[in-house]
Amino acid sequence: MLRLHLVLLLSFTVMQTSLLAQSDPSGESAVTTTYAITNATVITKPGSEMKDATVVVKNGLIVSVGKNVSIPNDAEVIDASGLYVYAAFIDGMSNTGAKRPENMPRPQNLFTPDPPNDYAGITPENSVMEQLDIKSSSIGNMRKVGFAISHSVPYGRMLPGSGSIILLNDADHVDDIVLARDAALYAQFVGAPGAYPGNILGIMAKWRNLYRNAENHKDHTELYAQNPAGLERPTSDRVSLAFHPVISKTKPVMFDVSDMLDVRRAMRLQNDLGFNLILSGVEQAWGVIDELKATGTPIFLSLDLPDKPKDIKGDDKTDEVKALEARRMEFYNTHVGQAGALIEAGVNFGFSARGASAGKIKDNVMTLIENGLSESDALAALTTNPASMLGIDNVTGSVETGKMANLMVSTAPYFTKDSQIKMMFVDGTKHVYEIKEKKEKKEGEATDEEASATTGSDPLVGTWSYELVTPGEPQGGKMIIKKEGGKYSGVLTSNDGTPDNDMNNISYRDGELAFDFDIEAAGNSVNVVVVGNVSGADFDATASISFGGQNVELGLTATKDGK
Amino acid sequence: MKNILTLLLAFFSTMALAQVQKGDLLIKNGTVLTVTNGTLENTDVLVRDGKISRIGKDLRAPRGVETVDATGKFVMPGIIDAHSHIAGSAINEGTSQVTAEVSMEDVVDPLDVGIYRALAGGVTSIHLMHGSANVIGGQNETMKLRYGTMNPDELRFEGAPRTIKFALGENPTRGGRSRGIQPQSRMGVENMLRTSFTQAIAYGKKWDAYNADKSPRKVAPEYDLRMQTLVDIMNGDVLVHCHSYRADEIYMLMKVFSDFNIPKLTFQHANEAYKVAPELAAFGASASVFADWWAYKLEVYYSTAYNAAILTNNGVLTSINSDSGELIRHLFHEAAKTQKYGELTDDQALALITLNPAKQLGIDNRVGSIEVGKDADIAIFEGHPLSVYTVPLMTFIDGVKYFDKSIDKGDARIYVGPESSISEVMIYDRHNDHRCLEGANVMAFEELFSNKK
Amino acid sequence: MIREMKNIRTLFAAFLMLAIVPLMSLAQEDDQVLRARNGKFALTNAKIYTVTNGIIENGTIIIDNGIIVAVGADVKIPADAEVFDYKGKEIYPGMIDGGTTLGLAEIGSISEANDFQEFGQLTPQMQALTAVNPNSTAIPVTRVSGVTTVWTMPRGGVLSGTAATINLFGYTPDQMFAGSKGIVMNFPSTAGGRRFRRLSPEEVKKRQDRALKTVNDAWDKAELYAKLENSDEVRSYPEIEALVPVVKGEMMLFIEANAAKDIVATIAWVKERGYKKVILTGVSEGWRVADQIAESGIPVITGPVQAIPTRDSDSYDAAYANPGIMSKAGVKVALRTMDSENVRNLPYHAGFAAAYGMGREEALKAITINAAEILGIGDKVGSIEVGKQANIFVATGDPFETATKITDLFIDGYKVPMTSRQIRLYDEFLNRTPGVDKDKKAIDIKKK
Repeated sequence: MLRLHLVLLLSFTVMQTSLLAQSDPSGESAVTTTYAITNATVITKPGSEMKDATVVVKNGLIVSVGKNVSIPNDAEVIDASGLYVYAAFIDGMSNTGAKRPENMPRPQNLFTPDPPNDYAGITPENSVMEQLDIKSSSIGNMRKVGFAISHSVPYGRMLPGSGSIILLNDADHVDDIVLARDAALYAQFVGAPGAYPGNILGIMAKWRNLYRNAENHKDHTELYAQNPAGLERPTSDRVSLAFHPVISKTKPVMFDVSDMLDVRRAMRLQNDLGFNLILSGVEQAWGVIDELKATGTPIFLSLDLPDKPKDIKGDDKTDEVKALEARRMEFYNTHVGQAGALIEAGVNFGFSARGASAGKIKDNVMTLIENGLSESDALAALTTNPASMLGIDNVTGSVETGKMANLMVSTAPYFTKDSQIKMMFVDGTKHVYEIKEKKEKKEGEATDEEASATTGSDPLVGTWSYELVTPGEPQGGKMIIKKEGGKYSGVLTSNDGTPDNDMNNISYRDGELAFDFDIEAAGNSVNVVVVGNVSGADFDATASISFGGQNVELGLTATKDGK
Repeated sequence: MKNILTLLLAFFSTMALAQVQKGDLLIKNGTVLTVTNGTLENTDVLVRDGKISRIGKDLRAPRGVETVDATGKFVMPGIIDAHSHIAGSAINEGTSQVTAEVSMEDVVDPLDVGIYRALAGGVTSIHLMHGSANVIGGQNETMKLRYGTMNPDELRFEGAPRTIKFALGENPTRGGRSRGIQPQSRMGVENMLRTSFTQAIAYGKKWDAYNADKSPRKVAPEYDLRMQTLVDIMNGDVLVHCHSYRADEIYMLMKVFSDFNIPKLTFQHANEAYKVAPELAAFGASASVFADWWAYKLEVYYSTAYNAAILTNNGVLTSINSDSGELIRHLFHEAAKTQKYGELTDDQALALITLNPAKQLGIDNRVGSIEVGKDADIAIFEGHPLSVYTVPLMTFIDGVKYFDKSIDKGDARIYVGPESSISEVMIYDRHNDHRCLEGANVMAFEELFSNKK
Repeated sequence: MIREMKNIRTLFAAFLMLAIVPLMSLAQEDDQVLRARNGKFALTNAKIYTVTNGIIENGTIIIDNGIIVAVGADVKIPADAEVFDYKGKEIYPGMIDGGTTLGLAEIGSISEANDFQEFGQLTPQMQALTAVNPNSTAIPVTRVSGVTTVWTMPRGGVLSGTAATINLFGYTPDQMFAGSKGIVMNFPSTAGGRRFRRLSPEEVKKRQDRALKTVNDAWDKAELYAKLENSDEVRSYPEIEALVPVVKGEMMLFIEANAAKDIVATIAWVKERGYKKVILTGVSEGWRVADQIAESGIPVITGPVQAIPTRDSDSYDAAYANPGIMSKAGVKVALRTMDSENVRNLPYHAGFAAAYGMGREEALKAITINAAEILGIGDKVGSIEVGKQANIFVATGDPFETATKITDLFIDGYKVPMTSRQIRLYDEFLNRTPGVDKDKKAIDIKKK
């Protein structure tokens, strides 16, 4: 794996925080940025624990770790008796800090076989840097659950651009939190909306075509750079250019693939084309353990786990029901046991947070531990492994002198039920958290800023979160209803970035809410009729679609937000 | 199920060379329907290392070789479905009318329980085809139904020739109309074919020139996998299977292929092929048809169930396919219908689902009949396969048993989603079953909901 | 039929057919039309499957003016009867399909050509019979395969319409009308239907309860209407009026339910409402609750038999075995294809049911007498008995076997010509004139 050079970025950041004179009417600035965390149990790295130890942090770095180390005179001493200090966690892939861009409108007269690259989602030249929003609440949400670093990847389709490794700090400017810019080329198996390549078939072929042309383009570019005489000039094709470092293997491709068949497809592309591959967001790894061993492909398991199956209660279940429940539970166990199985097979992995709700991450890791993953392997997957897989292990991933001060301070050994995170240090900046008596489960990060409509006593008015059950993944978003002058109006937003839809012909009578909206698909406007019942904060409806001689009914449910 | 467990253990293999399981067995004393050498009563078939090694009477099983008693039963070559859409994660890249570059080999789904259900109907090989929304569609994948693995590579029919899907008629024109592009008429379909081949010839010339160029400072022309595939077709390296219905469009394609010097061609569905049977025979094209489906679209309104018989009697190589996850389970019954509609003999009827599709897929050197040296892809039936009362009992691929009715446990799923319902009920609707009907309309609908995060 | 002898017999039959085919072509010159004819017919020397009175090895049937007037081994043949010698053949009652859209659907993908579904959830007054196209191309295609009567039905919504039995011969719907009608209802379904509904069991139950409320409201209104209908003040309400005959026990009610839970819920609902002439249709998962269905006494029309199992975890042959399991549990079962253009495959669906547990005898009943009785025309058709309508076909053997030929057909006492568009196309194109030679100059198909 490639080591990344961080010198300039790091020193610039340090300079910013070490201004000697500061004036801050909000009172939020720290008095000193030198800390001595004393009397702590320090887990310097998985399997290595130091009791009654002190960690000294200065200028964003760990200056010393150990018992009886000297404490600088400008240090704030933090008595960490009874507390546990870990290296802060590293998330291998998520959209932390990124804001979903507005959906590109469908071009007039779209020629679906050959759409513009940006419409098709083929923008490997882009970067998550364009989407990062320093004010995003997702940064704080991830930090609160123990992460100091995320490899943040851009929203998009097939080739959204490069991901960057960011530090989960508050700052004034996004550049301040970037640890490694454009660290990996991010790829998904997501097709263009109604244009080529529309699904996995086209995407696989497009990859091969793009790559081959990029290779030729690179050869041509290099040949021309050596000596242009007599050669036609190479184009400035941004897509091909974006692939050059991938072809020369100085930049890996990170494929976001959850199910085992998609994992195999990514590996097949790697086998055919030769780039360096990192697998990420993987939910079904058990079926490819041998291939992982044989190829040594780095892999990040998804921190999102399936819910435990709810078996029917009662003693009078038929044999058939028992057998079906047993099979289903068997695969639940396979899912939650795969982390342990990978370790047993000698395959190391990291974790990626994309798709997981930040508030559930710890519970999920605990579930993995209950099902065969050792605590030290879990810690490795959260710290040392991702550091090495992302090429930043020379500067972080463990609590060792000279490394970045990325620390997590816990009220108890982290992998216990009631442990809470009391403090986080990210790049040497201290963050303190309130310890709650009863652990509350917080909702996951909200990556969109949602406007919450005023809630009055009107049963409809407000913001609802809906889910539409579709042939693909369920689609979700917000249903925002307003009332003006006795008339309802509303809008449906969509989590996947498709444009908002106006709700038309809203009628509400005897608890029944009906409306319709139009979707654009392949040059056609399709009308969807939604009819359902509102009871309290629940809306239970059917969406009917008539299309090309086919009539389809889908389920749509919504819950009112807030209160 | 023991054989599934064995297979699960056996799937540990490197990606490059999926180790295919091969078996030994002796099938004793059955009525062997060889297809190429008539019916052999009370005859044994010996399988060694996945191949049929001996056919005869009173053969003895070598040590360690399992014996299957087929007394009173019928032994036939495993059935081959030349048109199928089971076992695929996606079927149609419908956003362009020419997509020769895509391939079904990228989307094989070994977890589809439909595979097991096909095995339970005596089917051992299928031609997983791209959909029919495009004039020039994607490449197909010839597969063996080695069910029980999570590795799609293990279902490959190693060495099978490359094939590709074309489509004529209402499906591509409907696609063009819904997207506001060509083709929107049968005229446009012909034009797209001719234009595509012409472009491919120009592409091929450019690359030939580049390859012949010995200069050290040469610059490669643009690489286009689509055009390259069309070049491969014209070079005879890819067999074309064309979804078609009307007699005039079948005739049109033969003329186009004649103009571009492509001699090998199989028409799929070809409900009106019987109207141009003499032309098909003269050209040497073959047909893969339904037993009796008709009237689902205008272009099949003037069909006749006698299609296969008329074609066979006019010397056209004909097979019967299913294009359906339901029909595939009783292809033996579909073939038997040609005895009602046209009085084909037993061997003629059986050939429609064995040797003939094998020839159309270029795999007849390996499968399609019970002959020494061929792969041991075999199905055993209780009752003659062409009788409506027949019951498939066992299905073997490469001499390994993949279906055995006597030990069938019912739930044949390889993977069960932990969040799935245990009592999810789906009522069969034949209108949703015919996947080839997935033209542009349904494609566009699926697009509505293909926007993943 | 013994398979081992098949080849020889087939070859001989093929020789015969080849000899006959040119004759058939001659019989159909462009200006000559084959007509059906009525009259007095004697069908002799055949093996007669009466279905209700056993098999007559060598018997005779006399048909007079549409009615079977005599059946037996020793029947006196009237002097003025046209005699048919069916030596070596088998005679069966015309087959009856318990559920189709035949005559209401011409070309699947063209909505203008389909008339079985009307807009709206409550449309029981829609009459399928009147909308039947007696000249549908599929009708002759179907009857030459021995299916003589079908139940043709509206679909969709909660109360789809009024279905009817039709004989597959006649030039107006009234000529085709076989004598019975019924209201078609779809019990609120908990099934996934189209593969993408993944609701939790609670949500499913909520949905079903709500839909059931709509259903119950309609039937409550119908019961009220029945009480008030003699009053002058009551307004016309066609949707509800159509249900009154069911409430009064005069009209049959066919309720479609497929998932096991739905079947059980339907049985309970019927018991609660107290309607008398109820039939369960669909019943794909009937095998799961066969005992409960048997106990309820409600008859069943099920199919298609050649269908994918309802659950991914089901055994591959669940649909094939379904009718047999119900029948063995004591349920009265009829079969249906649920098709429009391939109703002709009804005997093969029955054959599969027979092979997977129903047995040939029960399967034959399921497409003859059971179907007739369940559809309310058991006194008219469904068996070969004196006094019944002459719906009969003659075959070279077991009609469940694909190699069997149907050689003669009688519907409503008419001898119906064995022709259809598909047969005419076979005749025209088996040996096309001209063949390819005429074109050879214009196009050179095979390049060197």
